[in-house]
Amino acid sequence: MTLFHFGNCVSLAYFPYFITYKCSGLSEYNAFWRCVQAGATYLFVQLCKMLFLATFFPTWEGAVGVYDFVGEFMKATVDLADLLGLHLVMSRNAGKGEYKIMVAAMGWATAELIMSRCIPFWVGARGIEFDWKYIQMSFDSNISLVHYIAMAAVVWMFTRYDLPKSFRLPVTILLGLCVYKGFLMELFVHVFLLGSWTALLVKAVLTGAISLCSLFLFVTLVHSN
Amino acid sequence: MFEEASEVLENMLKWSLPLSLVLFLVLLRAEAAHEFSVYRMQQYDLQGQTYGSRNAILNTEARTVEAEVLSRRCVMMRLADFSYEKYQKALQQSAGAVVIILPQNMSTMPQDIVQQFMELEPELLATETIVPVYFALEDEELLSIYTQTQISSSSQGSSSAAEVLLHTATANGFQMVTSGAQSKAVSDWAITSLEGRLTGAGEDLPTIVLVAHYDSFGVAPWLSYGADSNGSGVAILLELARLFSRLYSYKRSHAGRYNLLFFLSGGGKFNYQGTKRWLEDNLDHTDSSLLQDNVAFVLCLDTLGNSDNLYLHVSKPPKEGSPQHILLKELETVVAHQHPELKFSMVHKKINLADDTLAWEHERFGIRRLPAFTLSHLESHRSPARHSIMDKRSVSSSLEGAGEATAGPHVDLTKLSRNTKVIAETLARVIYNLTEKGVSGDLEIFTEQMQVQEDQLASLLDWLTAQPRAAQLLDKDSSIVHTLEYYLNHYLKDVKRHLVRADKRDPEFVFYDQLKQTMNAYRVKPAIFDLLLAFCIASYLGVLYLAIQNFGLLYSFLRRVTSPRVKQH
Repeated sequence: MTLFHFGNCVSLAYFPYFITYKCSGLSEYNAFWRCVQAGATYLFVQLCKMLFLATFFPTWEGAVGVYDFVGEFMKATVDLADLLGLHLVMSRNAGKGEYKIMVAAMGWATAELIMSRCIPFWVGARGIEFDWKYIQMSFDSNISLVHYIAMAAVVWMFTRYDLPKSFRLPVTILLGLCVYKGFLMELFVHVFLLGSWTALLVKAVLTGAISLCSLFLFVTLVHSN
Repeated sequence: MFEEASEVLENMLKWSLPLSLVLFLVLLRAEAAHEFSVYRMQQYDLQGQTYGSRNAILNTEARTVEAEVLSRRCVMMRLADFSYEKYQKALQQSAGAVVIILPQNMSTMPQDIVQQFMELEPELLATETIVPVYFALEDEELLSIYTQTQISSSSQGSSSAAEVLLHTATANGFQMVTSGAQSKAVSDWAITSLEGRLTGAGEDLPTIVLVAHYDSFGVAPWLSYGADSNGSGVAILLELARLFSRLYSYKRSHAGRYNLLFFLSGGGKFNYQGTKRWLEDNLDHTDSSLLQDNVAFVLCLDTLGNSDNLYLHVSKPPKEGSPQHILLKELETVVAHQHPELKFSMVHKKINLADDTLAWEHERFGIRRLPAFTLSHLESHRSPARHSIMDKRSVSSSLEGAGEATAGPHVDLTKLSRNTKVIAETLARVIYNLTEKGVSGDLEIFTEQMQVQEDQLASLLDWLTAQPRAAQLLDKDSSIVHTLEYYLNHYLKDVKRHLVRADKRDPEFVFYDQLKQTMNAYRVKPAIFDLLLAFCIASYLGVLYLAIQNFGLLYSFLRRVTSPRVKQH
């Protein structure tokens, strides 16, 4: 709506990242450069995904309003590349487990924030027209931060050689949920015709659930040794 | 942290900084809540007198009339609630702009509202105002914008602080912005008139001149379709051209003993500028012209599309034995014998040169001592039907058949074709001198192949009313002028254009531009809302900070939950 509103949205979106960075003690580890590297990997992975999608997936020519479940499901499967990217980042980093996760997640999430939110905020939030969607986008970016931390933790756990057999299944399920979360959200919105604020709430609840489960598993794993 | 950050950023972004700057500087326009076309009220100068709205740009918040503070706001009104008092109130409180919302389909409006608006149109124009006045056609989104504005306007100043606070969080204000520039005078506008002739058989024949002005007038130029006034006049003139050209070229009847001169004049609603200049050029500046020689009479056609009345307006009652008197008598004969349902009478009105504008077109000819009449179904030249935006080709023809009175002036096709026939028969009797030859008043000449074609009239009228025909919109290259010229060329000889340009130093007429704009309605929130939001965000961030600081608590809690189980293994 105005520059003030732009400032509001940006602070709502960026400050949690800043706070997380400061409070997780990453600054003492001089991990800024590593976060940037993780961000660069994010860009590379997104580029590959886009090329892959553009080449192999035809455009949907069906009726408007009919949700192409199978097509979207296949597209979501491509998001497995995200997991590979996170794994790549973490394997190249030396250091303790927790900090590897945090570095990878912070870098990844910040890159996503900058790439996907900057332009809409600059163009849209600064205009005369007011729309609630910019505030919603900022909340959404907060939720993504939590989501990426959880995802990085799950990927890390998956690749551990000393993962107990009983954990394999929950970890795999969580991994699947992480990848298909976007798809599930769209499914919910379409089937239950949720409003935008309700959808945001559902997303927050879903992400919270995933992250709690992964935290639980993480704690159990780390402190069972 | 900031030192290494700056190092890294410098290295990485050195090459991309110019690019990103360019990207950030591109100020793309935000999408509006609603974008719609608005049509400005007339703005013109006639003989030094200014009329209409002087301003075109606006960038103000919307309010409706119920609000207390109207100054520097855009006041929105619907036609159904429109009244002159409300309009005056808005102007007196120095409103920023006025937008009047008209329904898409006028036939949904009751008769009295349409009638009242038609009578107000000249008053709206007479008060010169610096406030831009726009007209918009209503659609669903505009209606919702109006209702929302109305709700917020009427609830101002009546509630407690808490209600106001809640109100600011939930209500939507609208900012109305037009995209164009300030209006300025159009220089060198050329009003076009067209003439064509049919030559009679013989030498030194008298001339009958048939005139109709083809432009229309209303409170907003882009909404003036002028179906009855003067689309009907033009349609009749063109149909007469067709019939008489057939008659004149028909070998068995031969051409009559009169020359026929057809004239479609432009700028008619602006005090007949086209006719005035044409007369000056033909009588003062050329050596020989049909107008200088023997002119029997001039018949002007103005608003003939409806009703069972017919009036012949004269400025001097015709003398016995003159061609004008013959016309009058023939008209009475034809009406009496062939169309008794028609009520015909002569109206005598002296030319009053002290008036701002002339009453009828024949007065222009009268001033130059040419005998002239105007034929119309309106009794007075001041009738609002002559300059109203409500004068449209009726859209809902299905309603007409049910016998309901359609709101506003409109054209009744059967009556139009009947009037055409009356005029054609009368002219034929004059040209071929039928009464003297003893032909009875019952004989109809225009029958069978020579019939007045109603379909032709209908299609002409549909074409004429398909686009607005205000004089400011028809320059010499417009499609209407070209099509009229083409049509005349098909039936008449010597079709010529005649241009009128306003005098440089002392212009008789000045037109202004920016008559049609795109208005954007942006949803805005008051400034308080931003502060409120900032406060909420600050508190949210504070809570988040505390939560992250104390994350360790959650961690140790989970650890305590899991560790007893581990210890048991």
